Amino acid sequence: MAISIAPYTADWIPAVKAFNQRMAAGGVGAEFRFPESNIPHWLPEFDGRTIYQRYYLAVDGEQVRGAFILKYQEFRLGQDPAKIVYYHLPLSEGIVNKSYSSVGVLMLRSALKMEPSLYCLGMGGFDRPLPTMLKALRWSMCAVPFYFHVEHPSRFLQEVQPVRGTPLRRLLADAGAFSGLGWLAIHALQTIRSTRPLLEATAEPIVNFDDWADALWARCAQHYPLIASRESRVLNVLYPAGKSFLCYKVSRGNDLIGWFVALDTQMKDNKYFGNLRIGTIADCLAIPENAGAVIEAAQAVLTNRRVDLVVANHSHKGWGSAFKAAGFFEGPSNFIFAASTGLSDRLGPFPEVQHQIYLMRGDGDGPVNL
Amino acid sequence: MTSSPILDRVSAIAADVLQVPASSLSLQSSPETVESWDSVRHLDLVLALEQAFHLQFEPEEIDQMKNVECIVDILSAKAPKR
Repeated sequence: MAISIAPYTADWIPAVKAFNQRMAAGGVGAEFRFPESNIPHWLPEFDGRTIYQRYYLAVDGEQVRGAFILKYQEFRLGQDPAKIVYYHLPLSEGIVNKSYSSVGVLMLRSALKMEPSLYCLGMGGFDRPLPTMLKALRWSMCAVPFYFHVEHPSRFLQEVQPVRGTPLRRLLADAGAFSGLGWLAIHALQTIRSTRPLLEATAEPIVNFDDWADALWARCAQHYPLIASRESRVLNVLYPAGKSFLCYKVSRGNDLIGWFVALDTQMKDNKYFGNLRIGTIADCLAIPENAGAVIEAAQAVLTNRRVDLVVANHSHKGWGSAFKAAGFFEGPSNFIFAASTGLSDRLGPFPEVQHQIYLMRGDGDGPVNL
Repeated sequence: MTSSPILDRVSAIAADVLQVPASSLSLQSSPETVESWDSVRHLDLVLALEQAFHLQFEPEEIDQMKNVECIVDILSAKAPKR
């Protein structure tokens, strides 16, 4: 039976459940289960909504052999609105049954046929199967830099797993944590690295994004060659009131200069962060000149909440400089951006543009695992 | 294995991509019979064939590439259209 791509309708739910069971039986982890509802829990498609997801299946007769998700979202590419689509959670039965080795390629090629301007984000590192496949297809790829600021050095040294990778490193980290030398060293390093004067920005909590956010978007979008729409109608869908998002607008004097969305998460036996309390700057917006003030405001809010570590991913070079000027360290990143050749052609020379595009953890599949 | 120009080229390309001796491949060689023929190598094979034959496969053709014989059939059918 030939495999074809079909929209996920309710009729397919039993076949998706059977697909998930075969994948689980083959040793695929629970995080790689395809949703067993055809209506997306996150970003379902409604009339008039500009940000939504569609689920697709690779079907073989009455069986499902693969699945993927396309997230549709408006972007600003240069000065123009553009439809750029996020390809995610591609699952192929080829992982557990080599008879279906072609399904991964089939799904990707089918998605590209539907939407030539595709991108992927996250993926866990360049060496994973999907980035390997994308590299073969000559997608343009880069890591979105990861920045962190240690608020509680002793706990950082006791909990952050990459710091404690070997017995010797664990011994040194524990010695640093318990003697106070670690606190002294990290505090000194962050202070020395912090080069900017206090920018005296104030943060005010908000419940919803409103006209002020649209006015800010109108001022900011032109500064970034590729940025997902951050209009209020989109932000209120992505960061709805009543969830765990900490949404603030940032002002200097009477001037509204930006906003940020943060998360305050108590980790539990996390493979990177152990049991630290992590403050994440998941999303934010300002013109590049005001990046430092927004970062300072977000960091102050998270520090007051007594997080152990503040983290962020940001692709824009100017924002990266602002993070470093605020004393943040840049750490290894496994948060990968990949642009299809169709998207790359629209972007221009990738080595030049990759540091100007605007991507954070709030993009792609949102601030998951945080 | 009966020789033909397309088969010879497919065998050589598949052997190179799958990192096996060409002599070990037959018309029935497939992901089930060649250990190194996984999803990523399948993509590599598709791309190598597209480059060598100066064409692009449709998604449904990729699905039909169940073994070497199917690949040869697809290429034989596509080649005259070029």
